[in-house]
Amino acid sequence: MTDQVANAESIRAQPPARALIVVSATYADGGIQRFNRTFLTACDQLGMTSEVLSLGDSFEVRSSWSEPPSTSVRVFNHNKPRFALEAFAKLLRGGYDVIVVGHINLMWLVAAATRLRRNARVILIAHGIEVWTGLGRRAWALRAVDTILCVSRYTRQTMQAQVPELVDERFTIFPNALSESWRSLTARQQLGCLPGLPPRFILSVTRMDRGDRYKGITTVLEALAMLEDDSIQYVIAGRGDDVDFMKSVAQRLGVADRVHFVGSVPDSELATLYRNCLAFVLPSAKEGFGIVFLEAMFFGACVIAAREKGAVDVVQHESTGLLVQYGDTAALKTCIDRVVADPILRRRLAQAGHATVVDDGAFTFRSYVARLGRTLDLSTGGPHV
Amino acid sequence: MCGIVGAFHSGGRLPDPVVFATALKRLARRGPDDSGTWHDSYVRLGHRRLAVVDLSPTGHQPMVSSDGRYVIVFNGEIYNHLEIREQLTPPGGQWNGRSDTETLLEAYRAWGIQCLQRLQGMFAFAIWDKVERRLFLARDRLGAKPLYYSWVDGSFVFGSRPGAVGPLTAGAHEIDPQALRIYLELGYIPAPLSLYRQMRKLCAAHYMVVDERGLRIARYWDFRHIPVDRTLLKRDENELADELDELLKRTVKSRLISDVPLGAFLSGGVDSAMVVAAMRASGVARPKTFTISFGEREYDEGPAARHIADLLGAEHRTEKLAVADLLALLPTYVDVFDEPFADSSAFPTMAVARLARRDVTVALTGDGADELFGGYHYYSHVDQLARLNGLPEPARRLLRSVLRQVPAHKAKLVAGALGLGGPVEIFNYLRSCGKDFGPLVDAGVLQSTDGSAAWFEQFAAGFTVDLTHAELGMRLDQGFMLTNSYLQKVDVASMAFSLEARCPMLDCRLVEWSMRLPAHFKIRDGQTKYLLKKVLCRYLPPEVVHRPKRGFGVPIAQWLRGPLREWAETLIHDSNVMARLPLDRARVESLFQLHSSGQRDAHPVLWATLMLLCFVARHDLSQQLPETAPKLAA
Repeated sequence: MTDQVANAESIRAQPPARALIVVSATYADGGIQRFNRTFLTACDQLGMTSEVLSLGDSFEVRSSWSEPPSTSVRVFNHNKPRFALEAFAKLLRGGYDVIVVGHINLMWLVAAATRLRRNARVILIAHGIEVWTGLGRRAWALRAVDTILCVSRYTRQTMQAQVPELVDERFTIFPNALSESWRSLTARQQLGCLPGLPPRFILSVTRMDRGDRYKGITTVLEALAMLEDDSIQYVIAGRGDDVDFMKSVAQRLGVADRVHFVGSVPDSELATLYRNCLAFVLPSAKEGFGIVFLEAMFFGACVIAAREKGAVDVVQHESTGLLVQYGDTAALKTCIDRVVADPILRRRLAQAGHATVVDDGAFTFRSYVARLGRTLDLSTGGPHV
Repeated sequence: MCGIVGAFHSGGRLPDPVVFATALKRLARRGPDDSGTWHDSYVRLGHRRLAVVDLSPTGHQPMVSSDGRYVIVFNGEIYNHLEIREQLTPPGGQWNGRSDTETLLEAYRAWGIQCLQRLQGMFAFAIWDKVERRLFLARDRLGAKPLYYSWVDGSFVFGSRPGAVGPLTAGAHEIDPQALRIYLELGYIPAPLSLYRQMRKLCAAHYMVVDERGLRIARYWDFRHIPVDRTLLKRDENELADELDELLKRTVKSRLISDVPLGAFLSGGVDSAMVVAAMRASGVARPKTFTISFGEREYDEGPAARHIADLLGAEHRTEKLAVADLLALLPTYVDVFDEPFADSSAFPTMAVARLARRDVTVALTGDGADELFGGYHYYSHVDQLARLNGLPEPARRLLRSVLRQVPAHKAKLVAGALGLGGPVEIFNYLRSCGKDFGPLVDAGVLQSTDGSAAWFEQFAAGFTVDLTHAELGMRLDQGFMLTNSYLQKVDVASMAFSLEARCPMLDCRLVEWSMRLPAHFKIRDGQTKYLLKKVLCRYLPPEVVHRPKRGFGVPIAQWLRGPLREWAETLIHDSNVMARLPLDRARVESLFQLHSSGQRDAHPVLWATLMLLCFVARHDLSQQLPETAPKLAA
């Protein structure tokens, strides 16, 4: 932490920048929300003053996270007209050094305003799945963007395939970082207690809505039914409207008694799950980045992911985890069998993964802050238009 | 192509040899040429042989490996076994014989479970490891060869047909309500289910290990996750046709290995014509081809098949039947399908198999092309119906009520599909034999089981993402209909006459290639099998390739109102049979009434029900089969 402060101090020597940040949501569960919270914390570390307009949040969920001191957040509870009016007014009024658009769906608003008055540098955050399709009709709005912070190489590639005028220079590959909040959970006594936790289990942490079947949970269930060691249990943390379907799949595969749907669990209990699992398994087809892999790595879990999209930027095969082709149950079974049967392999992969989220690892918050500082050009005289 | 049966018990409690011999005898049609058994303290293995490769006694099974450690019973053909031999060094420096069985056994000895990745072919086999006291069983990638098993109180039994497994299975045979429900919805029972709780099928592309620790099953190949390669859309179509042409020739050529006469089924359609064309291109000077021709001109593909045979230089044989003659095959149908099965196209398949067997022992077929290359129009219908389902509910309601008034069958189909959920549910509806007639199982079964849509959903959850609706439909068909229905039909109907049927379209390299091919090359502008037809145009004139498909449907609907009516009525009103099944009897009776009076055509679901009743009446699996088939009304 001391290093991070020192690093941020060197950047703070520059005049503080003012940012207007428009986002879809900040407080609730979900990858984009987690990203936004980390982003705002990083802005604060860089000495920026941030005004955040959050479309999807309500007053009720605000208690779930305390925003940094230099950040003010206004929530709109999905009231799109009010959100648009306020954002538009602020954009026209100006006075910001940088405007950050947290979701492609909000880009039209900023593009329209900057047509009338352009007074700040515009940065778009591209998380992943939301920009993989349908960019063609938004090409006009993308012209207003100076820099796209792109969470993975795959996402940049798919954006460029859709809008060829998005040249490399307009992108900065900006991988996620592990949220600082996890570090406070590292002391063992602070880990949550989960009564009835099975002794040997694999873990998935994911949202489970009907539209999220690409996460590969059914593939894991199929692999579970085929494992050499049939005492291995499977814990799935997360909620969604597809849980009953997953339960019926487990039933049909004859593994219902080995699968534990624990729902949404607090971070402290999640940390316990990560720490105790034999492997964290999420062979998803569409992770824009996969911040959940970083969390698993941080707590020393051996990670198994699919060789797809942004996940390949996070997990290096046979180094920081194992990769399989999406949907390949046979390959997944082999991978799980390997890590279950080989504690040395498990430890090696887990240690290498852990190294990426601590100290000078690529996915530490410190690296993230430094990367953001460089992108915003704060160390060389502040943001420019 | 053979029949296998076996039993394992880690404590040595094996079936009585006499009962075992009875079970093996039930596979006699599958293997008329030879029979053998082998046993030790833990395992008893049996084999019926249809000799195709290496007709000498060195091909006899059960076969013991050169080092004496392994024993195999094997049903099927390994088409690349000569290539595999080149990678193996037989102990003692030389092979005992020329059979693919010996190759497979040595491959397992050398590579263990990994040998499965090298096998190209159709197979179901079991290998006993005397040292580890472990039984290893596997089934081919597409499920061309069947493998049933039961695992009751530590006793493991397996066999090529339920009729062989049944007598060896301990305890009573209880009907599985889940299997029953799905059967009445689809007309077949998908793996791993069988009609009985105590019996299961090993799924295609799976293997199984059985030892004193228990039973473990795993998948070794999966087509579901193979992504569609959209970059192919930019490729020159002729280049893709070249690739497909080459692949087809290669797969057909590999299926020509045989020490007995070999031929091909030939209808007037694209698939079998493509196979025969590839046979010619692979060096077969005059392929022997076989067709059933019907007296009724509206059904008859005989002349078209003859024309194709002449163009391809085939030695063609036709048998002319009246459609009514197929009815005479009903007793054989009931006899050989020792699991309820309701695909009436088994009749013509049996007829052509019977014809072919007079001249050859092996026949190539075109099965699989429809599912791989887009042979059905309803793949596009899923898309159209999904779009209609995007309409607001009031508009859907209005459309539904209008369509229900239209007398056309298609209008009623569309009306039934309106309001269904996503594409998987729509596809399930299009593929179901019950459609809008409602469930025939009783309320208890309905409550405690899942419908076929849920099984489709589960299977589709493993698909690669971003499939079009048509691609999704083709993959569902391949995983369910092809594997569990069509390939079972081909296997059982051909085996009924001791003929080995080979399906070149189901070569796994061809399957993987077709999975990567976007639907654009399969169904285009209302034309089915677009690319396959393009390839066939290299061998046949375009007007022959694009000739409108005549299509032959066995006239079950008419039979049930005519020659089979009395038989059907007797079965439906047989209280003894009905009492053994959890069916809604009143609904079955009213459905029959509705159909026989001509008010509605309910023949698909009625036929499925009748085949079930017939099966239960005839096959008490713990007993010997009766010698004669049930008497039919004239």
